[in-house]
Amino acid sequence: MWWTRYVMFESIMNRCQFHVIAAAVALTLVASFALTAQEQDKRPGAEAVLAAADRVRNPGQPFRAQLILTEYVQGKERDRTSLIVYARQDVRTLQFNNLVRYAQPPRDAGKMVLFRGTDLWFYDPASKASVRISPQQRLLGQVSEGDVLAVNFARDYTAQITGEESLRDADGENHGCWRLDMTAASPDAIYSHIEYWVDRRTNRPIKGKFYSDSGRLLKIAYYHKYAEQLGAVRPMETILLDGVNSNLATVISYSAFHFQEVPEAWFQRDYLPRLAPE
Amino acid sequence: MNRHVVISGLLGALLWAPCNNLAGQTSSSEQADEPNPGSAAVHRDQRTGTDQDENSDLARLPKSVPRKADTESKASGRAANQRIYIENVFTFSSQDDQVIVPVPQSIAVSWQNLLFLDVRKQWKLADRLNFTLSDRLHLRAEDNLAFLNHASVINSLREGFLSWEPFQRTYFDLGLINLRSGAALGFNPTDFFKTRTVQEPLTADPAAIREDRLGALMLEMQHVGQGWSLTAALAPALLSPHPMYTSTGLPSFTPSINRTNDKTRWLIKGSVRLGSDFAPEVIFYREGNQTKGGVNLTRVLGQRVVVYGEWAGGERASLIDEVLSFGRQTGSLPPSAPRLITGDSTVRFQNDVAAGGTLTPRAKLSFNLEYHFHQAGFSKQDWSQWFSLGNGQASYSPIAQELWYMRGYASDQQEPLTRHAVFLRADWSDAMVRNLELSGFVNCNTYDRSALLQVSADYYLSDSWSIGAQLRASVGTVRSEFGSLPQRMNVLLKVAKYF
Repeated sequence: MWWTRYVMFESIMNRCQFHVIAAAVALTLVASFALTAQEQDKRPGAEAVLAAADRVRNPGQPFRAQLILTEYVQGKERDRTSLIVYARQDVRTLQFNNLVRYAQPPRDAGKMVLFRGTDLWFYDPASKASVRISPQQRLLGQVSEGDVLAVNFARDYTAQITGEESLRDADGENHGCWRLDMTAASPDAIYSHIEYWVDRRTNRPIKGKFYSDSGRLLKIAYYHKYAEQLGAVRPMETILLDGVNSNLATVISYSAFHFQEVPEAWFQRDYLPRLAPE
Repeated sequence: MNRHVVISGLLGALLWAPCNNLAGQTSSSEQADEPNPGSAAVHRDQRTGTDQDENSDLARLPKSVPRKADTESKASGRAANQRIYIENVFTFSSQDDQVIVPVPQSIAVSWQNLLFLDVRKQWKLADRLNFTLSDRLHLRAEDNLAFLNHASVINSLREGFLSWEPFQRTYFDLGLINLRSGAALGFNPTDFFKTRTVQEPLTADPAAIREDRLGALMLEMQHVGQGWSLTAALAPALLSPHPMYTSTGLPSFTPSINRTNDKTRWLIKGSVRLGSDFAPEVIFYREGNQTKGGVNLTRVLGQRVVVYGEWAGGERASLIDEVLSFGRQTGSLPPSAPRLITGDSTVRFQNDVAAGGTLTPRAKLSFNLEYHFHQAGFSKQDWSQWFSLGNGQASYSPIAQELWYMRGYASDQQEPLTRHAVFLRADWSDAMVRNLELSGFVNCNTYDRSALLQVSADYYLSDSWSIGAQLRASVGTVRSEFGSLPQRMNVLLKVAKYF
């Protein structure tokens, strides 16, 4: 009977010295707090994790890369855009400046977009017109600049580690991850809020969830196909899942990486018509 | 005995969890090879209130097809150097016979079919030497043109120049070059080389009309420094001015340097970055014995707005006097042709301004609103005289001819005819339907409220094929700038294949 067991337990307790119990509880609490503090101490800073993950995605020297953006609807390929990107980190602002030239589709071949913070220009060699565009127009195909180009998350967002989680990557492999909660901290930040999973062992970004000002999930990114490129192991493919339309996905494949001299002078309107042919 | 058992058990139970946690933590931090995977990523969605397994998103991943990345990269990189397409355009125009000032000759056609091959390509000849070619070959048929005569085949060699970079970012270009300037869309006062460059306009949209404009034969030098650039260009006079071409009188294969190089022109322009995103551009331009200056300014306001301003000014005659001078010089008007519209004919400092902004309410939707001021253009009184003089004239009368010649000249010069205008343009990509691009503009004369409207729809069937339609209409009373045009409505259908 349950009440018999209860009486027995109460009887035992009554025979215990109160101070012994209290000491045990106090000891346990102290130990618990000490261990939690120790656990916290052993966690790296969120900014350090984010900066390390940025270094995985972005080479430290100016570089050129070829990007192929493939759009899928319900798993079937629908569209493809090919871009050539020249990137360089501004040593003063730490932001990445990007110069993008369209290679495909054929109707857009040769068009260029300059991304330098809020200094954004679109150049069409057909009309030889350089048109200044607003940050709202910084789209490349169906995706945003921040999904495609070199972007310094550590500069544009404040972050905190909110957990350690086990997460599978796009290839189904399990990773022990830091879960980072990121909030926009600069006008250059494209998203208001990001949830970001970074492998605890390698600092490789595994997954990101990107939110609008209103808290709406805009897209989910998976970083995978890691391979040695430009002196580090970097993701060769990013898969973007549309947060609104679950049938839409975009795969961004990176190739033809190489370090290249990309002077700061390239990132201005008057240089756009001067970018040498491939 | 019991007491010890109970205390030990209690302590053990209390201590077990954190110790276990400690073991895991120590493991993960000490040895990087085998980190504790942590708890499974399951979160409560604040919006729906449901638990969400982060791994559930994996089910949505598309199966990517492995590609030969290197081969594809090289091919794709080369594709960035060129754009080649073939397009067929059929145009139908409705005429208005009730124009108040009769048109001297039928300058408009009721239908036209234009098939053209458009090529723009860059070649890398050597490490620092490139060649650029931009050309369009037209095959034309229209209601008042015999098929396959000299006017049926027209080649527009827009650009063909060598570009040499002897020093880092210092360039020398020589050949037919399309040198553009200007921040605005509807009217570019500082685009000094725009005059007489458009020969087969398929659109009235100033933003698109530049795609088929002719370059001038020139030597251009440019240095692009860090945060600044300096450009100098010289286009010498090579041939005497040629009269304005009619649509049936265009040369078939001769480069039109008698239009672009009929005066010696030179230009110097420089820009310098002041602050993180502000780089004004200053221009000095000389044409014959006239000197002009110009400034271009742009600025971003927040995330959605770009504002811009463009000014050019210099000593010049009014449009009416320039028309007379050009007409007499080229023999298009008799030497005794009078200045029909009376007014101030002194050469004085005159200003051109285009000021406006771009609003982007959504990522793929933008609006441009601009105010245009062209001081040398028609005033309200000039317009009044234009209609009074032309009303009741026969179409072959010298007066009607001179009045319409003025309008043709303004169009040939790519300048507004009127002094004040408002321009609104909208562009919407993926409009309602994916791959559908809608664009349109209204150019409004502020004196008489008449307007030129155009709406275009382009649908990209695939990466290689596109179809499109365009509707253009002149709106206004018969005594207004656009209402007085003989062409009331123009419908265009096109299909293009890109290679």
